[in-house]
Amino acid sequence: MERSEIIGRYQHYVLEHGTPPPSVYAFAKDLGLGEREFFEQFGSFEALESSFWESTVRETLDAIRSEEDWAGFNAHQCLLTFLYAYCDRTLDQRSFFLARFPRWKKSCRQPPEGLCGMRSAFTEFADEILEKGMSNGEVACRGAMTRTYPLGLFGHFLSVVEFNLADDSSGFERTDAYIEKSVRLAFDVIGTQAVDSAFDLFRFLSGRSWAKAD
Amino acid sequence: MTTEQQSIPSGRASRVTALAGAGAKVGVNYLKHYGKRAVGAGADHEALDEANAGAIYDTFSKLKGGPLKFAQMLSIDRNILPEAYRKQFAQAQYSAPPLSYPLVVRTFKREFGKEPLAIFDSFTRSAVHGASIGQVHRATIGEQTFAVKVQYPGVADSLDSDLAVVKPVALQILGLKSTEVGPYFEEVRERLLEETNYTLELERSMALSKATSEKIGGIRFPEYYPEYSNRRVLTMDWIDGQPLDCYAAAETDQDRRNAVGQAIWDFYHFQIHQLKQFHADPHPGNFLVDEQGQVVVLDFGCTKQIDEEFHHDYFRFLDPEVVEDEAAFIEALETLDIISPEDSPRDRELIIEGARRGTRLLGKPFHEGSFDFADDSYMASIFEMGEEQRRNQDFRDVRTARGSADSIYLNRAYFGLYSLMGLLKAKIEARRDVV
Repeated sequence: MERSEIIGRYQHYVLEHGTPPPSVYAFAKDLGLGEREFFEQFGSFEALESSFWESTVRETLDAIRSEEDWAGFNAHQCLLTFLYAYCDRTLDQRSFFLARFPRWKKSCRQPPEGLCGMRSAFTEFADEILEKGMSNGEVACRGAMTRTYPLGLFGHFLSVVEFNLADDSSGFERTDAYIEKSVRLAFDVIGTQAVDSAFDLFRFLSGRSWAKAD
Repeated sequence: MTTEQQSIPSGRASRVTALAGAGAKVGVNYLKHYGKRAVGAGADHEALDEANAGAIYDTFSKLKGGPLKFAQMLSIDRNILPEAYRKQFAQAQYSAPPLSYPLVVRTFKREFGKEPLAIFDSFTRSAVHGASIGQVHRATIGEQTFAVKVQYPGVADSLDSDLAVVKPVALQILGLKSTEVGPYFEEVRERLLEETNYTLELERSMALSKATSEKIGGIRFPEYYPEYSNRRVLTMDWIDGQPLDCYAAAETDQDRRNAVGQAIWDFYHFQIHQLKQFHADPHPGNFLVDEQGQVVVLDFGCTKQIDEEFHHDYFRFLDPEVVEDEAAFIEALETLDIISPEDSPRDRELIIEGARRGTRLLGKPFHEGSFDFADDSYMASIFEMGEEQRRNQDFRDVRTARGSADSIYLNRAYFGLYSLMGLLKAKIEARRDVV
């Protein structure tokens, strides 16, 4: 049995029953497989879900990369296109996303578990568009700080998914507006010299007051 | 694309800056006021109010060819509040940066199930100009050129929260209490919500242009395309022409200006009297003048329907016999809720007197029949009257919103129409029968 088919059956089970299957044994029996065949594909239900989240990003990227406009887009447009396409894609499986997408816990500063694969798929893409952005001047190069951008963009991506899952506007138009506005802000921050200038001014002024105090 | 069309957004943008200027000045005046009070110099409400009115008028008087002469309207009619809302609302939208191309694609995919280039042979990546709640792209199929208006996402959903933001500002500027303006607020909200529905706009545009175009000379409409339109996208013919304010500034031939003015005048009266449904947004950006001197009407987002009864009650004021006959005039005011039995005799007297003056002044073009709007003193006297009422303490003590909510948009259409005529400096046959 194909991985994708197992994932599909698993999703079906979760949505019908409201919870994951009680055990791999029971689930495999349902599929008409032995446990061995299940474990050959996935180490656990968590691994299965994690692999599903990763596939959503990779499949979205494959789809948008084949569009004819893609090559002509700048970094900003690439990111927007990805986010719109991703939200559009989740519509087919919105129930499963609502039921199982790992949420940020308030007490926990770490990203939710089970999204490692998804994160690396996304950050590879983020590296690629940031490089594009740096070569055409959309993204300011800030040394070590620049290396935090991909993870920052991943955090933003998760916020988009969260926003989308909580959105109840017709056609999820509020999500579109959120994406449009937040990505513009993100590129304003990483793209212009405003932050550098602010930092420079702050350093200048605070250096002066320290000098006086001495 | 002509340079004139490109100049629309910049014109609008500068209007917005001017409006923002008024807001900022009002804010500064309040700061000064509270500053004074804080240091114990004694609060001077009168001065504050005058300073605010002055700041607002200064700003609005700079809006030459602006959508409406807000200050004039403000001074004549306290139903002005909705306009403040609209401005503030429009401002919030205008100041929104343009939609990115991926979002336009997204909107097309959601609404049509395909990308712009799957429908059109060409489609501009960036907006050609802004519209109040969306932006316009130019597209072609073969030889044909279209103007495609795409709406910002989420405008309808965020309408209530946008209005909630604007409400206190508008109330503050106008010195009204929110309890007094409930019905007006509701009326404005309803109209704005309608504006976000392009399907409705398409239907109205097609119906209104069909009903009007053969009856009124000198007016034409773009062709609309239902197959390329839906609730968020509206497609019509691309028409080359000059926006009305540019035309008014450039046209030197008085006869042609008169013809353009008369066409717009007739168009409005045909809608108001015959169709009882009218284009409630008469500002210069909504009209183009083409090479043949025909007026092209754009943007039917805001139309207002009135019923027979209201039409009768409202236009009674144009009858000189009603205005000059004390009893008939009072009765007419009562039917429109401008005065009510609860008013104190003093307030009543004041309102009746004010309304009589206003009616005489505003009805002047109709009473004279042929009227020359090039006469600046007429527009100035309208403003003066309002300003006088504003400064009059007695008048301000009876400051509550009055009149039927239906009259908001009719008043607005008339003030808009008068200011368009003033802009064109046109001589008009005001009483000409329209079909």
